[in-house]
Amino acid sequence: MKTLDAFRSLLSAGSTGWLRNVAPPAVLLVLIAVIGIASPGFLRADTLLVILSDTAVLFVLAAGATFAILIGGIDLSIQSVASLASVILAQLLPRLGLWAFVVAILAGVASGFASGLVHVRLRVPSFVATLATGGVVAGLGLLASNGRAITIEETSRLDTTWMNQSLDGVPVVVIIAIAAGVASFLALRYTRFGRRCMAVGAGEPAAWAVGINVDRTKILAFTVSGALAALAGVILACRLSSGSPNLANQTLLPAIAAVIVGGTAITGGLGGVERTAVGALIISIVRIGMTFVGVDIFAEQMVFGAVLIGAVSVTIDRSKIAIIK
Amino acid sequence: MTFNANRVDSRPPLKPPSDIASRPRGVALSSMASHRWRALAPLFVLVVLAALISVANPNFLEVRNLIRIANSASVPLTLAMGTTFIILLGSIDLSVEGAVSLSAMVLVLLAANNLNDNNYGWAAVAAAVAASTVMGLASGVIQTMLRIPSFMATLGTWFIGLGFSVFMLGGSAVRLVDPALRGLALSRFLGLPFAVWIAAAAFAFAVVIQYYTRVGRHIVAVGGGEDVAELSGINLVRVRIAAFGLAGFFYGIAGVLAAAQLGQSDAVIGDGRMFAAVTAVVVGGTSLTGGEGGVVNTLIGVIIVTVLSNGMILLGISPYVQQTAQGLMIIAAVALTLDRTRLKIVK
Amino acid sequence: MLAAVQISKSFVGVPALSNVDVEVRPSEVVGLIGENGAGKSTLMRVLAGTHRPDSGSLTLDAKPLRLRNARDAAVHGIGMVFQEQSLLLNLSVAENVYFGQEAQFARFGIVNWRRMNLAARRQLEKIGVDIDVTTRTSELTFAARQMVELAKALTLEESTQRQLVILLDEPTSMLGQADIETLFARVRALKARASFVFVSHRLEEVLKISDRVYVMKDGRVVAEHAADAVTAPRLHEIMVGRGLQSEYYKEMKQESPGAEVLLETSNLGVARIFRNVDLKLHAGEVVGIAGVVGSGREEVTRCVGGFLPQTNGMLSVAGVPTRIVSPGQAVKAGIGYVPRERRVEGLVMFLSIAINITLANLDCVMSHGVIDYRRERNLAVDWIRRLRIKAPSPDIACRNLSGGNQQKVVLARWMNAGSRILVLDHPTRGLDVGAKEEVYELVRELSAQGKGILLISDTLEETIGLAHTVLVMRDGEITARFDASRGRKPDQVELLRHMV
Repeated sequence: MKTLDAFRSLLSAGSTGWLRNVAPPAVLLVLIAVIGIASPGFLRADTLLVILSDTAVLFVLAAGATFAILIGGIDLSIQSVASLASVILAQLLPRLGLWAFVVAILAGVASGFASGLVHVRLRVPSFVATLATGGVVAGLGLLASNGRAITIEETSRLDTTWMNQSLDGVPVVVIIAIAAGVASFLALRYTRFGRRCMAVGAGEPAAWAVGINVDRTKILAFTVSGALAALAGVILACRLSSGSPNLANQTLLPAIAAVIVGGTAITGGLGGVERTAVGALIISIVRIGMTFVGVDIFAEQMVFGAVLIGAVSVTIDRSKIAIIK
Repeated sequence: MTFNANRVDSRPPLKPPSDIASRPRGVALSSMASHRWRALAPLFVLVVLAALISVANPNFLEVRNLIRIANSASVPLTLAMGTTFIILLGSIDLSVEGAVSLSAMVLVLLAANNLNDNNYGWAAVAAAVAASTVMGLASGVIQTMLRIPSFMATLGTWFIGLGFSVFMLGGSAVRLVDPALRGLALSRFLGLPFAVWIAAAAFAFAVVIQYYTRVGRHIVAVGGGEDVAELSGINLVRVRIAAFGLAGFFYGIAGVLAAAQLGQSDAVIGDGRMFAAVTAVVVGGTSLTGGEGGVVNTLIGVIIVTVLSNGMILLGISPYVQQTAQGLMIIAAVALTLDRTRLKIVK
Repeated sequence: MLAAVQISKSFVGVPALSNVDVEVRPSEVVGLIGENGAGKSTLMRVLAGTHRPDSGSLTLDAKPLRLRNARDAAVHGIGMVFQEQSLLLNLSVAENVYFGQEAQFARFGIVNWRRMNLAARRQLEKIGVDIDVTTRTSELTFAARQMVELAKALTLEESTQRQLVILLDEPTSMLGQADIETLFARVRALKARASFVFVSHRLEEVLKISDRVYVMKDGRVVAEHAADAVTAPRLHEIMVGRGLQSEYYKEMKQESPGAEVLLETSNLGVARIFRNVDLKLHAGEVVGIAGVVGSGREEVTRCVGGFLPQTNGMLSVAGVPTRIVSPGQAVKAGIGYVPRERRVEGLVMFLSIAINITLANLDCVMSHGVIDYRRERNLAVDWIRRLRIKAPSPDIACRNLSGGNQQKVVLARWMNAGSRILVLDHPTRGLDVGAKEEVYELVRELSAQGKGILLISDTLEETIGLAHTVLVMRDGEITARFDASRGRKPDQVELLRHMV
């Protein structure tokens, strides 16, 4: 028991104050160092650039989820929304050209808005509300695509190849991800909406008492989450040149994990998109790094799970959560 | 402040009238009525749903179809039993798919199969269930000892369990050859496949646990009021670990049944099952905050979900609509059954 | 038998108990009285094992007693009936009575309900109560639940031979007269088997049931009397015993209010809770509302603050009829609400002082459409200085502040927002004497600035001391109005007559 207590006090030391702010980037650096030592090829510029490109989609998705988590909820519909957006893009590119991008993003906006509405007006916990809207959206995705993947034909490729280029050596997807990240960061830090999000997440009764329109803030947060999820789906569609109802499968939980590992409190109010960026990089690097280090491809998920648990134990701020359940 | 003993009692009715003498049992009628109604809502939904489908397609009520429904509900029901206990606790369990995959993998590799020479028969079943139970216990230990939210703890164990399965199966599907075990799904007893009987037994077992055992009552208590329960001396850590282990046990049985039904197992045998399990629990009326509802509710929820998908097939509705319908159903179910008078803050 | 010896306990630096000595003898009822914040609840919890004292000790039969948690106390026959009940509402009555002790009814982990229900019924019969033990506890009335709690505490009988000590923490505050009589009858009937410690605000009640009475004040025991040797008014004197320290409430600074009416209500009411509330709040005036729990005064302030929409009557702010159905509307109307639960409703504890101050009107720190952090910081620093908030920087989280400083941040916020009407809901609750005085100082300052203040306080003395006008409420209506101008403060006894 003593060693457990010592271990626990070590964990809790890492979860308050400046140490907690430093933990996620520290974990990231340690990971990079460990993998870099084990496999120097990892540290080459082009490798790192590929990693950034691969992380872009995850980050955009996770950035949206950050909004939902910051207000104290969660958005489980993001993967369905991303897939739907990819389907919409693939279907509409031939007919609408670049406007297809707009429609796809608007679909995400609508979905997020609906999630927020269900959560706020029907007073349904966000876990269930977004689980439900996620199901509805997934069904819509299946309907819109007839259950198949839709290839983006050559004729439409012109509208999408720009996504796969690089600008001065930096891949466009990375630029988009950074832009989305910066926009989110600025919104959360410098706008009234952002301030309200933090207040609602950190102390909803007090936010309500001070006159903040909690309902409107929440709906807006989920709308942003939906929009970013759609953006992620669209990026993915361009990279894979196809839209499918299953395109974004298996991205939901890594996205949520990215937010939590980055140090945003799962109960809301504390954290931000910059933390999610670090978290997304950690998740991505663990995944990619495993191949570099030579972890058996079939053992990857086990390692991922273990690292996830370890990372969360270190970065989570237990003082902010009353009852951990 | 003084109290005048001669004063006639005239409290403003903020709380229900507190006169024990006139209501011999001291029961407030209004809250009782709405509570009962809310508890019966899922059953009502089921009846209405079944009625609508059978009107549209009378084949629905044919014995053969009912058996089909029972059969396809077997694995989800067993799974949902485990999930129910976690949700009763007020936590969430994301490791369902990993546990099912793990258990199916252990079974398929230890019983007679097309990959190796093992032929452990029923011992393989025991090993599979044990493996899954251990995984559940691990989830519980990780959640309580490392003090991280159950969301993250079970996310981690999901990947570990699934990963182990992937590791052992190497991405290929292994066929289950053992005739007795396959018989679990194929042979019948009194017209129903064994899988249905096993699921029914699992349900009965879950009922006993929730309503007749100390650990079950403690799980309900912790979910309903953790701090109060702790004040009365309940060891929270032990209750949580037990709940997760119990869930793992049910997942293990479900995994065995799934492998038997499919005749094989690959790592993705668990895919999609978590959404179905949580849907069933929620639709059945068990509260996500814990302490309310239970396995009987989940039974209704599972039947609703299964009937819905069966109905949609019978009515020729596109399977793609199914997910949409399930999503809408969750919203309706929760909106109707949630005790909103008690929820000031909805997260 | 059970004794607390020189117990001291502090919370976040604020002393709740200082060198307290109490004793509970066999087969007696000990009354414990004192104002809010006197330390009664804390003492009870120390006796019950849920709080551990910072210094001092407990003894049982002259032997030292170390309690780690409520379970330990239970083993020694000490049980508590909580003010905020400790029952699990989603379980049945029988389960609650025997919660944590089901082992005696279980075999191989399976509970024998028939035996437990029977045993629970027996326990309830012991206190003469007839409740169906299979009922879900949430369906019971408050009074019935109180009885179940008592039965639960009495199950300690079965785990120990010795005399029990049952701690009753304000059991009567929510009960009607008939139920109180029932409770008292039970207690008397059980004296052979258990001793009781009875905490209540109501002095007559305490004297009726107790054998001995302790009076607590500011965390200390200031008197001990046999119940038949003292009267309620005398106890009250001892309890309050500050003598007329008028300067405690800065009465010298109390100026006459202006003529402008900031807030006026006419026939204001909320169905089934309060009605016919007419009040006028002038600039620079402090209007205090006195009343016991259930009188409706708390709800009046909640209504003005926007938390409880009015169902009839009229409310006007600065002459303009307004309908306030949400706190947001109240804020817009210039009403600042300082809540009782400041940690929950007053401040966002995890966010900084600066953010909390500007939360009600972000406009003041916006430039070119974005938040100007430097401006915000300077603003916060300014308020910290003006209100003498003890904090090293405006960026620290509010939860690191003491109660008094937290309250100042709340006030700073409303002052920053320019609220002309302030509703103070138990503003000095949980604050030590020094912090209280600072709040009184601030109240005078705000009045001098022409703000109108609606006040509900923990103690009559504070209400009278701070207010220009005191309204007394009882059972949802205003029963009396008193002029409390400087030099003409009414006596507490006069108010009490209209409160109960």
